[in-house]
Amino acid sequence: MGALPAAAIEAIVMAGGSARRDVADAQARFKPGDAVVACNIHPAGHTRLPRYARGKRGVIDRVHGVFVFPDTNAMGGGEQPHTLYSVRFTGDALWGADGHARDRCYIDLGTATSTRHERRAADR
Amino acid sequence: MDGIHDMGGMHGFGAIAREADEPVFHAEWERRVFALDLLVEAFVEGANIDAFRHAIERLEPATYLTVSYYEKWAFALEALLVDAGVVTRAEIAARITALEESGT
Repeated sequence: MGALPAAAIEAIVMAGGSARRDVADAQARFKPGDAVVACNIHPAGHTRLPRYARGKRGVIDRVHGVFVFPDTNAMGGGEQPHTLYSVRFTGDALWGADGHARDRCYIDLGTATSTRHERRAADR
Repeated sequence: MDGIHDMGGMHGFGAIAREADEPVFHAEWERRVFALDLLVEAFVEGANIDAFRHAIERLEPATYLTVSYYEKWAFALEALLVDAGVVTRAEIAARITALEESGT
């Protein structure tokens, strides 16, 4: 275990440790405007996909870049960097008639286990 | 995991209480727990921000709902250190007992 110099603490606290990873071979599967469906998954381990969004239809709002995948990194499965998206959901998509159609909810989701193309979902 | 932490959209918890001029830390031990978390995530094998969040998710549900923000951090730190083999549950329990008996 190495020493963490006291002088380094302030920078770490103020800037945080970035989870961005510049991985050359990672390619974004989706682009802004693509319709997607959040996966319906219920892993016993960690996931950043909240229950209320699972199986719900949304739209890719922006591509953040490549980031550590929390679902594996939390469980000893390594960083497995993924393309991370901001996915936009409407209030009524999430909450039905109890939601508000003009509300928007943005959730950061990674490709591999969190989203799939809406077209493919419709084929099933 | 489908745990108590995933509360988005749940009803019945009432309004969020906002504290006026909320301090960063409410007690010295909170400051220490914050610092310990930085150290553990920097140096302990398997510990990182995601493992830390998952450790909080694994808190017993009734505990999760009743302890404070930094108490959750402290429990999560214990879990990460136990998972990494740095300390055992028995050692933590023994230390608590020793502190209680010394009146500290």
